[in-house]
Amino acid sequence: MKHFTIVSILVILLTVFVYVLLQAVGLLPTQASSQAVIIDQLFDIHIGIISFLFSLIVVFIGYSFIVFRRNKLLPDEEGQHITGSSKLEIVWTLVPLAVVIFISYLGAISLAETRKIDPQALEVKVTGGQWYWSFDYPDYGITSDALYLPVDRQVKLSLTSMDVIHSFWVPEFRVKQDVLPGENLVKELRFTPIETGDFMVLCAELCGGAHAYMNSPVKVVTEGEFQDWVDEELGNFPQDPESLGERLAKNNGCFGCHSVDGKDGVGPTWKGLYGSEKTLVSGEKIMVDEEYLHESIVNPNSQIVLGYPANVMAQNYSELFTDEEINNIIAFIKSLE
Amino acid sequence: MSSINNTIASYQQKLAISRLGLWLFFASDAFMFGGLLITRFYLLGNKNLNLDQTLGLLVTSILLISSFFMNRAEVMVSQGNHKGFITSLVITILLGISFLVGVVGLEWGNAHFGPGDGAEGAVFYMMTGMHAFHVLTGIIFLGLVLRNGLNKKYTAEKHYAVEASANYWHFIDVVWIIYYPVLYLMGTM
Amino acid sequence: MKSFMSTGIVKGILYQITGSFMGAGILGGIRALMGLSWKTEPAIVLGGLVGAIGFMVGVGGFKDWWKMALGEEVNEASQVFGEQGLKRYFGFSLDHKVIGIQYGILSMVLLVLGGSLALIFRVELAQSGLQILNFVQFNTLVGLHGMVLIASILMGIAAMSNYVVPLLIGAEDMAFPRLNAFSFWIAVPASIILMSSMLFGGFETGWTAYPPLSVRGPMGIQMFFLGVFIVGWSSILGALNLIATVLTMRSKGMELFKMPIFAWSVLATSIISLTATQLIGLSFQLVMFERLFEMSFFTPSNGGNPILFQHLFWFYSHPAVYIFVLPGLGIISELLPVFVRKPLFGYKWVAMSSMGIALTGFLVWGHHMFTAGIEEYLRVPFMYSTLLVAVPTGVKFFSWVATIWQGKARFPVPMLFVLGGIIVFLLGGLTGPPSGTVSTDLHLHDTYYIVGHFHNTMFGGFIFPIFAAIYYWYPKITGRRMSETLGKIHFYLMTPSFFLMTFGQMRIGLLGMRRRIADYDPAMGFDFTQLLITIGGYLIAISILIFFYNLIVSAKKGESATGNVWNSRSPEWDILPSPAPAHNYAGIHFNVVGEPYDYGLKGSKYVELAQVEAQSKESDE
Ligand code: HEA
Ligand code: HEA
Ligand code: HEC
Ligand code: CUA
Ligand SMILES: [Cu+2]
Repeated sequence: MKHFTIVSILVILLTVFVYVLLQAVGLLPTQASSQAVIIDQLFDIHIGIISFLFSLIVVFIGYSFIVFRRNKLLPDEEGQHITGSSKLEIVWTLVPLAVVIFISYLGAISLAETRKIDPQALEVKVTGGQWYWSFDYPDYGITSDALYLPVDRQVKLSLTSMDVIHSFWVPEFRVKQDVLPGENLVKELRFTPIETGDFMVLCAELCGGAHAYMNSPVKVVTEGEFQDWVDEELGNFPQDPESLGERLAKNNGCFGCHSVDGKDGVGPTWKGLYGSEKTLVSGEKIMVDEEYLHESIVNPNSQIVLGYPANVMAQNYSELFTDEEINNIIAFIKSLE
Repeated sequence: MSSINNTIASYQQKLAISRLGLWLFFASDAFMFGGLLITRFYLLGNKNLNLDQTLGLLVTSILLISSFFMNRAEVMVSQGNHKGFITSLVITILLGISFLVGVVGLEWGNAHFGPGDGAEGAVFYMMTGMHAFHVLTGIIFLGLVLRNGLNKKYTAEKHYAVEASANYWHFIDVVWIIYYPVLYLMGTM
Repeated sequence: MKSFMSTGIVKGILYQITGSFMGAGILGGIRALMGLSWKTEPAIVLGGLVGAIGFMVGVGGFKDWWKMALGEEVNEASQVFGEQGLKRYFGFSLDHKVIGIQYGILSMVLLVLGGSLALIFRVELAQSGLQILNFVQFNTLVGLHGMVLIASILMGIAAMSNYVVPLLIGAEDMAFPRLNAFSFWIAVPASIILMSSMLFGGFETGWTAYPPLSVRGPMGIQMFFLGVFIVGWSSILGALNLIATVLTMRSKGMELFKMPIFAWSVLATSIISLTATQLIGLSFQLVMFERLFEMSFFTPSNGGNPILFQHLFWFYSHPAVYIFVLPGLGIISELLPVFVRKPLFGYKWVAMSSMGIALTGFLVWGHHMFTAGIEEYLRVPFMYSTLLVAVPTGVKFFSWVATIWQGKARFPVPMLFVLGGIIVFLLGGLTGPPSGTVSTDLHLHDTYYIVGHFHNTMFGGFIFPIFAAIYYWYPKITGRRMSETLGKIHFYLMTPSFFLMTFGQMRIGLLGMRRRIADYDPAMGFDFTQLLITIGGYLIAISILIFFYNLIVSAKKGESATGNVWNSRSPEWDILPSPAPAHNYAGIHFNVVGEPYDYGLKGSKYVELAQVEAQSKESDE
């Protein structure tokens, strides 16, 4: 019995030590959403359980090795003949069973808490594509490449993808939801930011190539600042073709692959594209004019530029854009001397 | 103990092990067929594929009858009826071939979709194709059994190859008994 | 030279190369005849397939079956005396001990290949920014690292089960020796095909190969699918063989509950591989067909559903993680009593917990899809079932602790690895429940925390135990011991480096490091920890290098050890000399007269030579 008392004390000491240590290290990023607060409470419970079980097993093993070590004078000493105890086995089957059922129960509650619905939620339609995010605010008719959110108001995201599976994740908000292609597979995600500041949406599901760079800024601002932003987006935007084209290119992810400053990307840069001479994979040399640009956008596979892959650029831009919009984009490309 | 007794005992034991092995294989294969079944329900739900009912009924009956003859063949070889065994076996093989012609030759040509036409096409061609592939291997086994049967390699006591290919044939048959209603009968348009 | 060319494996590879070109050529030819242009993708798939069959023809895997199919008599496996000496390990052999070692060699080769891939991409990750790799190369390396090492694990557990199980249960060989050899050899061309995915443009999907990404990317993915598909068949057939062996070939008097415990874990593992493996094969096959024939299973714009793939894939790949660990945990349970000189605490409970893990393992696959957008009502049930697995796993842990309690432990190298395995697997297991509860997994999914979790489980459940097993059974294989000093260096270098690596991974994962990214934002402040992880990885590699040196040198120079080196009660040590003779117990019969782990009970025995009976039989004949 003496042994068990000592071991129990040691287990408790080590548990407390490990738990405090883990808490002190700062395991998780800041809590920037009300969901993060709920989820972190569950993390706390998990950390406690981990500290205890780890200590339990390590202390028992370590104690036994030290205290019951072999007598140096009896090198062939054998252990005691104890083959088992059904009583003990039942205890350590049923107790963990109760514990895991309890954790699952807490988990279910925690999940339900994070999914509480607020009918006043701000709606945002999120579109993921290789490799960009685009955010639509149907209530305001705004499309943006950064996610602006008012603080302390729930947002309801409807997520969909243009091509492969992506995943919407902001570590500070804790929540994550995969973004699937297909009209019938639009997914919903709700959270309430509780802290203003700049964060990042990270794409958490491998989506090929530039997956690592599929990030967009998230700006949580006060209600007033949010209204200012909406007004600015709606009112003061220049309406000339070049600016409209730039906006279209920005919001539809063209810049995920094409740079405007001459840097090489997944696709050729747009800087100085208009009027330049290009060699195609077919060996043909062409002058870049409006007709060519139009064809490259609506039917990218018809002429592949030498040194770049086919089948990478989406084939459905002709459905996505009106003719006028395409002309605006071309106007923008033309403006990039 | 005489050595003859010994070999019979060891033959019996090997037979038991081989039977176990075969059944384990069926268990494994059943999971694959089950996976396809789940695929069908997951993608198409309660949708009817609108296939040729007459042809479906015909090929199903052909396969069922072939299983009956396969069973006859097995019974006959264990009774030492060589001629009956060969006849039943040949009938089984012919029925098996007509099943293949029915499904791959006619149904595949008839169907109102190709393999690239949405989930219906994909599921239909995959399920029938996978099953047809098993029928084909079954026919090959039966062909080998027929060849060896003609060479009088099987006796009333020793004919495990016949038993094994018969069981395989019944297994494929059972798979089809599940696939047939799922592909042809169930669902609304 | 001639004898080199006639070695099984060399001939096999030559045939595989020829077969691949023939397969590709036939397809090109048929298409040409139909007036179609050359298409590389179907050609390499058919080429790969024909190549694998070619390999089997070359190595001689079909010879006996062909004879059997034609109704000719073939020799009993026990009557076949193959090559002797080193050469037998490189050709078609029916002896389960040779096959076990062949599996072991393949496993170690794959470990080095897969580990080296990690070492390459770890250099890229050691600091932010892109230095030595581009995206495709990085993604290919990560995916191949995962799958090659998983293949290595499958080969490794097959190695242990093949070599040890028949010895433990007193069988002369496996139930189906030819099938056994076939299962091993088919894995060789499969590994070659898997690696060759690098030559065809690589693939960008990670080992999980989720469509629609895998439907679009470079065509190296086809070689990946084909390789895994064939490895899968190797594992199915191997499992079938092991189940039949354990169920029917046990020695006289060895009831199921008197088998050495390792046999139980092999039985449980094999039940999973026999059945679940079909589903990964199927899911990969469906993507292959989607790419080749445009059959739309997973592309939503044409009626498919990408979630279906995840269900099919994880229905195998979750139970698969228990395939990886059960044999390793079996090794721990098997060796622990020997080194603490006490009976295994609660034998029956430990045996049944393996079965419990195997069966509950089938019900939990959804926990990989908590964020995937599966049906809402599925997440909570999957959370309950996931955590349920902790219960039988806990039974194992508590039984080990009770076995150790008051034991008179000794600490030779195998015991060190057993202990390392227990602690590392404990950490891996305990990091499971946070990912198993849905709301916390919303944060953890697809981060380096998960990477840390599974390196812990796989090292603790496989890498440590297999090293223990190699150090432990090495004398049985070679008649010599491995160097204790080098073994200790190996252990004391590998364990802390490993903790450096995985603690680093879990730490940055919790803070927001995503999986499978070639570059990360320096603003997140991960650079230093990433550097430590890389250093940890390299130190592990160095320790493994020391292990290989020890392994090879000890075969010639090791201290000779022919008797019962570990003073174990199990039949292969108690009865057989080392190295183990060709037909195991041929001629020596033994009876089971006691419990397997009655250490500390004076005068008790597990097995006893049945000399009297054997002699009387001989005089009878
Ligand atoms: C050998 C392999 C192995 C093993 C044994 C396990 C064991 C477990 N794993 Fe792990 N897992 C992997 C390998 C493994 N895993 C891999 C490779 C992945 C990533 C795949 C990928 O995406 O690439 C993964 C991913 C993974 C996920 C998905 C994470 C995500 O992507 O979001 C989850 C979620 O639930 C999970 C949970 C668990 C649980 C609960 C266990 C349990 O079995 C653990 C049980 C053990 C214990 C709990 C410890 C001992 C028990 C006690 C001391 C008793 C008392 C305990 C309690 C009361 C809690 N694992
Ligand atoms: C048994 C399985 C196993 C093993 C042993 C390892 C071993 C290692 N793994 Fe991992 N790993 C996986 C299974 C495994 N891994 C899986 C399944 C994935 C998921 C893949 C995916 O996401 O798709 C993964 C992913 C993975 C990642 C995440 C990648 C990402 O998502 O971006 C990382 C990153 O640090 C990593 C690192 C390492 C390192 C440094 C080692 C080291 O321990 C390696 C040590 C080296 C060796 C064991 C080789 C021995 C080498 C020699 C003897 C040297 C001789 C050769 C030369 C000098 C050239 N692995
Ligand atoms: C997924 C990556 C990707 C995205 C997103 C993308 N492109 Fe491209 N684009 C490419 C690649 C690769 C090429 C070169 C191959 C080719 O010519 O098709 C290319 C070529 C072009 C060209 C021809 C350039 C030249 O040098 O001749 C134009 C014009 C173009 N894209 C316009 C667009 C527009 C407009 C959008 C957004 C609406 C867009 N692209 C989005 C990858 C992309
Ligand atoms: Cu999009 Cu990763
Ligand atoms: Cu899992």
